[in-house]
Amino acid sequence: MVREYQGLVYTVCYQLVQDADTAQDLAQEAFLAAWRAADRCPAGSEKQWLARIAANKAKDHLRSGWARKMSTPGDEVLALAGAPQDQGPEARALADLGQEALQQKILALREPYKTPCRLCLLEGYTPAEAARLCRRPEKTLNAQLWRAKKMLRAQIEQEREQERRTEDGTV
Amino acid sequence: MELFREDGCLTDEGLQALVEGRLDELGRLEAAEHLSYCTKCLDRYTALLTGDKLVAPPRDLSRPLGRAVWVHLMTSVYGRVAVASVAAVLALSIWRSGSLTLILDRNASALETYVPEQIAPPASATVPQSDYETPPRPGQKAGVVQKAQQAVSGFLNGFAAQGGADTD
Repeated sequence: MVREYQGLVYTVCYQLVQDADTAQDLAQEAFLAAWRAADRCPAGSEKQWLARIAANKAKDHLRSGWARKMSTPGDEVLALAGAPQDQGPEARALADLGQEALQQKILALREPYKTPCRLCLLEGYTPAEAARLCRRPEKTLNAQLWRAKKMLRAQIEQEREQERRTEDGTV
Repeated sequence: MELFREDGCLTDEGLQALVEGRLDELGRLEAAEHLSYCTKCLDRYTALLTGDKLVAPPRDLSRPLGRAVWVHLMTSVYGRVAVASVAAVLALSIWRSGSLTLILDRNASALETYVPEQIAPPASATVPQSDYETPPRPGQKAGVVQKAQQAVSGFLNGFAAQGGADTD
């Protein structure tokens, strides 16, 4: 199995992380995970099953790297553990916006962020309900919500900075 | 370039960009998240990974994987069996080397010298050391302590004799 699919598993890892050494490690981890869960492998779908395990390993690696790069301490806990959402600078930035402006910004988001934000921030669904409606894992939806809030906050701050500059220029 | 369609699935050009390594880190993270749960997109993606699109790993994975599996087995299933085997071999070695007999003999002789001093039987009931294994004489009432002494001595002597026979 390893000889047959190592090219596929390595390729999936490499295309997602873009680093040969990391991809090699992740491919090895993916095969080890596959070996541990071999009884759950659907017969005839080994290729897709292994590709999914590899994508999962790459996702975990990229997500931890992204969280390290973007977060202030405690952010990732807020994002992934389903902690209260009315906290943190992102929530404050969104709360400062009017309902209409917030709606505009959320509906202007691209997928995969628009639907979870619409459901959770505009329509009042909980992340668990939104995850069911979107057919996504709750953890994934929480991570997407967290990133979406970061994006919205960055947008709002950028706009405010531009407004300030314009005001300074006119004065 | 749009990576996702309105229905939340990856676009064809997004998948193509992933295969060609044209996505930035966020795009790759989003694609990985989606591929980890969306069966349709995973099927479309794996269908693209054929022939020259597959990259061989720099080092063959089977050998390090074999090692990793071996270590895993050693630390879980075989590890316990190995520990039990070593313990059994160690116990047998001690038994056959006679160390156990020596220890038991020493304990037995210590018991023989210890008991009469501590629990002095009445002068009429005193029996010689060598007679410990003999039953009480007719008319003599065997006390509980004496019965216990006899039982222990008998057991230890039999045990030592068996150990000695094994070492021969």
